Amino acid sequence: MAAVNTSNTDLRIAQRQHHRQQFISRLLLTLVTGAIVFVFIFPIWFWFTASFKTFTGIFQLPPQLLGFETTDTWWSVVIGGRPYVEAVREAVGATAGTGGAGTVGYYTVPFLLNSVFYAVASTLVTLLIATPTAYALSRFTMRGKQNVVFFILSTRFMPAFAAVLPITLIYRALEIDDTRFGLVMAHVLINLPIATLLLKSFFDDVPSELDDAAMVDGCTRFGAFWRIIVRYVAPGMAAAAVLCLIFSWNEFIFSLYLIRIPDLRPVSVTFATFDSSSGGTEWGFLAAAGTAAMIPVFIFILFVQRNLIRGLTLGAVRG
Amino acid sequence: MAHSDGVLVGTPAPTVAVAGHKRRFFSGENPWLWLSPALIFLLLYSLGPLLYNIYLSFHEFNARRKEFLFVEFENWTTLFSDSRFQNAISITLQYVVIALIVQVLLGILIAVLLDARPFGVGLMQTLIILPMVTAPTVAGMLFRLLNHSEFGYVNFLFERAGIVTRAEPLLGGSGENALLGVLIVEVWQWTPFVVLIVLAGLKSIPTEVVEASQVDGANWWQRFWRIKLPLLSTVLTIAILFRLVDLFRVFDYVVILTSGGPALRTESLSYYGYVNTFQQVNFGYGATLGVFVMVLVWVVAFSYIRIFRVKW
Repeated sequence: MAAVNTSNTDLRIAQRQHHRQQFISRLLLTLVTGAIVFVFIFPIWFWFTASFKTFTGIFQLPPQLLGFETTDTWWSVVIGGRPYVEAVREAVGATAGTGGAGTVGYYTVPFLLNSVFYAVASTLVTLLIATPTAYALSRFTMRGKQNVVFFILSTRFMPAFAAVLPITLIYRALEIDDTRFGLVMAHVLINLPIATLLLKSFFDDVPSELDDAAMVDGCTRFGAFWRIIVRYVAPGMAAAAVLCLIFSWNEFIFSLYLIRIPDLRPVSVTFATFDSSSGGTEWGFLAAAGTAAMIPVFIFILFVQRNLIRGLTLGAVRG
Repeated sequence: MAHSDGVLVGTPAPTVAVAGHKRRFFSGENPWLWLSPALIFLLLYSLGPLLYNIYLSFHEFNARRKEFLFVEFENWTTLFSDSRFQNAISITLQYVVIALIVQVLLGILIAVLLDARPFGVGLMQTLIILPMVTAPTVAGMLFRLLNHSEFGYVNFLFERAGIVTRAEPLLGGSGENALLGVLIVEVWQWTPFVVLIVLAGLKSIPTEVVEASQVDGANWWQRFWRIKLPLLSTVLTIAILFRLVDLFRVFDYVVILTSGGPALRTESLSYYGYVNTFQQVNFGYGATLGVFVMVLVWVVAFSYIRIFRVKW
């Protein structure tokens, strides 16, 4: 009797020790991983806090990450639309000229709205074109299919600066230069290969027996695609939409040259012009405007991050 | 009869049609009909500019008379004797190789750590995505502050660590460390991409495989090196392909951070082409560089896809 009891307690002690060791090693793992993740997050946190720091606080070394003196000067101009001169006089005491943003000013809201428009419109057009294309690449076997896929992929290969000039000239001939429509179509160009290859991988997951069954029941090929199969790739369309929205939001060089009317620019371009020669580099405003340009995408990511991996590898890696 | 033949003109013959049926273009079974909207669009927007650039690369723009003069192969012969072009190639190659190695190794490391399930793994996974979805212009500007020679915190830390000096900061000075300054942003933004992909790969490895090797007495390192890494090769191949295509065209960070300077020490091929086209109005030479980069990326990607048998 006594012997059994001892061995039981021994076992329990050994078990507890094992658990404790496991806990400690997992804690160590958490510390190491957390430290590395912190390094990656630090710049964003720094940028975010800088947008609330006072004029001198931004330049403090090492930077204070918590408990710093806060001000809403930068945000009141960037989001609130307060006049630049008034805000700077309050923050620094003196103003000279219009500041780094020039006559455009640091008020960012209209450009955020422009970006939303370009992102949503180009995503819709992209999905409209990409879905039938992806369906065909998934369902039909024809000669040169891999070549078609490589061609679609290869439209990513040309450096943007080289594509801008010809497209500008084509647009001028069609009289759609400096229009929203023109830029939306350029963003479709960037996103179409991505969306097509991604959607193809989702169509591949839907058994083609479903198409056959629908067609036996009297659907045409197009009817089977439209009424039945498209429903099954809805998650894929969501994943493609996520990517299209992000890439369109972040796109820079097409937006810079295809739209030269300042009022029509998306936020990525306007932000880059905030550091112009018309004034000094005003980091408080830049931090606030930069953060404002990040937040919509970040909130978006929180909801859809599961779709991201598959999207970024155009469906080749199932996340 | 006649009208259906007329429709066929100019379209590649569909090879797989139902046997015995007459092949018509406007048929739900014709793949090229399905593909046509995308192909027309892509031909217009990507083949069009490519052909136009090839055309431009044999011409020179006369700014005063505003016309293009045919110059045969002059742009191309200039290209291969241009020392600034050679500099740009060397900068681009350094950038691609260093960034790729660091991103892949660091990416695998972080993915393996996350795969071992530390506390709060879900949160960490979400947070590490954020750099990747930041606009390159915003990221560039952010690091212009962090890498600043006087009040940049990253520069400050690197100076402490003895990697850069006061006279040769990350940005500025004679440009000795400027490429490092650009690479920091690149690594910061795109290592998470490798992390995500490798993590997805690790999760797709069946647990039986790993457990079996554990039973056979494989230690942690053997399990990683002999079992997991070979199984990861497919996802790594894809990740590297995408990084390669983008790295060769590096442009946004250079524009925002350094404008190619100091002393051309961060001037990538794309940036040099951009300078020619948009700053010096050398449309012909700029187009030549554009075609060169395109062909370079094409050759690299094509050989890569052939060697590693990437398929969609």
